[in-house]
Amino acid sequence: MSRDSNYDHHISIFSPQGRLYQMEYAFKAANSGLTGVAVRGKDSVCVVTQKKVPDRLMQPDSVTHLFALTPKVGCCVTGVMADSKAYVQRARYEAGKWQFDNGYSTPTKVVAKRMADIAQVNTQSASMRPLACMALMIGVDDETGPCVFKVDCAGHYLPFKAAATGPKEQEAMNFLEKKVEDLPEYTQDQVIRCAITCLGSVLGSDFRGSEIEVGTIATTKGKFTVLTEEEIEAHLNSIADDTDA
Amino acid sequence: MASSGSGYDLSSSTFSPDGRIFQVEYATKAVEHAGTAIGILCSDGVVLGVQKPLLHKLLVSSFSQRIYTVASNCGVAMTGFVPDGRQVVTRGMEEAATFVENYGSSIPPSILADRIATYVHYFTLHGALRPFGASVMIAGYDEETKKPSLSMVDPNGVAYSYYGCAAGKGRQPAKTELEKLELHKTPITCDEAVKQICRIIHVLWDESKDKPFELEVSWLSEKTGWKHKGVPKEVLAQATAWAKEQLEEEDDDEEEGEEGMEE
Repeated sequence: MSRDSNYDHHISIFSPQGRLYQMEYAFKAANSGLTGVAVRGKDSVCVVTQKKVPDRLMQPDSVTHLFALTPKVGCCVTGVMADSKAYVQRARYEAGKWQFDNGYSTPTKVVAKRMADIAQVNTQSASMRPLACMALMIGVDDETGPCVFKVDCAGHYLPFKAAATGPKEQEAMNFLEKKVEDLPEYTQDQVIRCAITCLGSVLGSDFRGSEIEVGTIATTKGKFTVLTEEEIEAHLNSIADDTDA
Repeated sequence: MASSGSGYDLSSSTFSPDGRIFQVEYATKAVEHAGTAIGILCSDGVVLGVQKPLLHKLLVSSFSQRIYTVASNCGVAMTGFVPDGRQVVTRGMEEAATFVENYGSSIPPSILADRIATYVHYFTLHGALRPFGASVMIAGYDEETKKPSLSMVDPNGVAYSYYGCAAGKGRQPAKTELEKLELHKTPITCDEAVKQICRIIHVLWDESKDKPFELEVSWLSEKTGWKHKGVPKEVLAQATAWAKEQLEEEDDDEEEGEEGMEE
């Protein structure tokens, strides 16, 4: 092992100032990926992220950051792709196990809490590193209605009215804060368009249907669905019409 | 900012200050020392090819295998650090076998790719382990969707599906050649793909610098009954002859002073 006096930079132990450097570096890696935006409305939720296919030879279908953890809980995981996929595998397992043990479909907050607890363990043990990914989990809970949970690599999990992850997180949150009063009354279409507009404004570009991914859940009866390119185009067109009007 | 490792590159469980895991990046570099592997998803199947440099004149050639059949409907080609690659392939065989045991049907190649990716990724998490220095390409036929597929898993443990992929020493130029074929627009047939793989490997080989090599090519198509098999020797010999002809033609064009030919 290194005899570096900065050993606290190498594994998850406290620095003399009380910081966990490895966790901070993990955040840097997790926020180096794509920007994701999630919005909660009256009875629906959605999450939007960019779709960047790194290689022309790759099949675009295999590059996605939106995953259904259960039919009723979806998530957008951004950051290092390998870690994201492992994260989703574990989340799906945990959600399935909880449903089997308890007899009803896993609420979003349960998955969020469980994944947060697992993330915390990695910040306390030296042998494993934290997974460099941020998760935006969305669902429409039977009891509490639509919800958006942001789970990070340190093990924080918090419910939001609207949230963002990734390099443009701060700008996106600023954009969403301005709309926070209106959000609780938004219909599903408004929720989706708000998220798309937010992403567009912080990335400073207009999108085509093939450049973003949108996942949404309609009501307590809805399932997590990923919109097709045509459906996304329809939303983009109506956003454009609204701004022209 | 440490961009050169310098202490943050000693284990998989350490992030660098700019959020990189150097061990995984080094493992990816290790793959680039080995022979080129190319995979092409065709209109009627999948073809895999791996270039095996013959390191010693005394070696009995064709013993060292790079492409394995892990299930009758799935083949895996590997390049990089060969012992590491063998471990990954063995794990693939176990996954395929236990899948049949548990679920009663042959493993869909997308699931096999995910399982292999999860396994490879695990080795990038623990401080006590090091990442695999091998990239693996999975060609398979999904009996449910009735479609062939091609995926690649690299040392950081992520699997993507491809129209065409390359790994190893000649990865960059091979990818450029594959992009020229415009596989995402007009897929080619398996027979054509075998020829193209031979051609690309020969184009990348420099007689003065590189060692002589052997080419291992396999395919999976309707003609093989969707079973992963090695390409028959005669077919391979014909393809190699065609490839060499193509090269000579291009060389002749060059000698005639035709400009604009990249080689």
